[in-house]
Amino acid sequence: MYLRAANINIDDSVLVQQSQTGDTAAMERLILKYQNRIYNVILKMCGNPDDAAELAQEAFVKVIESIDKFQGKSSFYTWLFRIAVNLTLNHCQRSSRTATRSLDAEETEPNGETARVLRDCLSDERAVDPAAVAQSREICELAKKYLLQLEEPQRAVVVLRDIEGMDYAQIADVLNIELGTVRSRLSRARSNLREILESMLK
Amino acid sequence: MKPNPNLDELLSSFIDGELSPRQRTEVQRMAAHDPAVARRLRQLQNCRTLVCALPPAEAPGDLLEQIRQSLERKTLLQEQPVTARRSAGVVHLMFRRFVAAAAMIALVGVLGVVVYQIVAPVPGMQTLSPVAVNPHPPQPVPDLGGPAPVPVVDRGFSGRLELATAAFAQVDAFVQRAVESFGSVETAHREMAGDRRVYRVVGTRDSIHRLMASLGGVWQEFDSATLHVSELEGSAPVTIEAVTPDQMVEVVARKSTEASVETAQMYAAMNWMARTMPGREIAPLIDDEDSGSLFASDTIPMPKLAGPVDTNQATHAPPQGTAPASLTIVLLRSSK
Repeated sequence: MYLRAANINIDDSVLVQQSQTGDTAAMERLILKYQNRIYNVILKMCGNPDDAAELAQEAFVKVIESIDKFQGKSSFYTWLFRIAVNLTLNHCQRSSRTATRSLDAEETEPNGETARVLRDCLSDERAVDPAAVAQSREICELAKKYLLQLEEPQRAVVVLRDIEGMDYAQIADVLNIELGTVRSRLSRARSNLREILESMLK
Repeated sequence: MKPNPNLDELLSSFIDGELSPRQRTEVQRMAAHDPAVARRLRQLQNCRTLVCALPPAEAPGDLLEQIRQSLERKTLLQEQPVTARRSAGVVHLMFRRFVAAAAMIALVGVLGVVVYQIVAPVPGMQTLSPVAVNPHPPQPVPDLGGPAPVPVVDRGFSGRLELATAAFAQVDAFVQRAVESFGSVETAHREMAGDRRVYRVVGTRDSIHRLMASLGGVWQEFDSATLHVSELEGSAPVTIEAVTPDQMVEVVARKSTEASVETAQMYAAMNWMARTMPGREIAPLIDDEDSGSLFASDTIPMPKLAGPVDTNQATHAPPQGTAPASLTIVLLRSSK
């Protein structure tokens, strides 16, 4: 999963040039190439599938409308995610439909196997098994809800790093922040997320 | 263990592979020797594993189609308003042009009515000329420095000179020669009656002027000299008593009858004043400034009266023109 971001720029420049000359097929290939990743990042940031779909659609429309202005100063990949993340952050700031409320409304005490897996995640003795987490639907839902409890800036760096797999430089380019800011913000986000999980299991 | 932000940043970067090889070696050494660092490193790794284990979501299958439809809607929304705006703009522009044209026509109409009311002829009255046209020809602008010169019509000179002398025969002979020798005199008539001689001379102002000037040679022989200047026929003449040759010449030298009469009136007054005012006995001395006897006199000398013009003969040019002039010279024998 982390390797995806490293291999995305292979054909992007060619497709972008073709799209700038009016080649709609090239633009469609770019959309198909990135639509799932864009949608996934947006969904993890906003927590609502419908909003994520609408924001993804809006992001790609903006890309199509602005492809002529794209000068290649940054990679198409970071340019595309910059548009999508900015739209999502603006949406989250405007909208009150954050995952915090739904989490508060549906907050339940983890039970059984879910609680055990979560305790493993918080264990200081051994590392958690990623396969076990991925197989537990309940764990995933809880993890998404806890993720949404982070502030938007911290949530954005966590999503871009741990879900999209960007490196720090790419995150800094997408969010237009300093590399040191990415480092500190990501560290605080992970620390805060652990505190949230600990509070749920107590 | 209380979280250390700096340690968390270092450990987090270690987990993400964002440290240099030397930093990675250092973190590994710290974790190997410090259980607290190792425990914190494990906590952060598990937290990251939990997020990374979240299954990726797939975009809706019709996302591409939704994007296409969204673009089409935008295109339609952009084109339709543009067309509508253009139509509305054209209509608005045409309306403004129509209003502007109507306003101009109305303005021209109002101005036309105003102008017509100004220049329209009034019923029952004589048609007036346009305001801007002067019906009268332009008159010459008078000279502001004085009254406009009025053309003077010289009706000639008519005078009667009465001379009384004890040397009647000599003076009569002198006057007769002067009249006869004066070639420019047109007609001359001489009447002889005892001690009275009458010479009637008709000519021009110039000829009469020269005749009078020639009489100056015998003027000292006259006991009295009186000049009557007639202005118009039937009117009372102006009488200059004790007239001098210069005064006669001055009167005749005028360019019009009226001027001659005015000059005669002036000299008549001057001579009357000279006779009636004290010191009249020195009048001859006044006329002769070079005699040098003035200071020997006991009488206060009278100032020499001067006319409006210098009586010096040299300054009086002979009168020009062909106006008729007549002079009647009456020579009388005085009993002196």
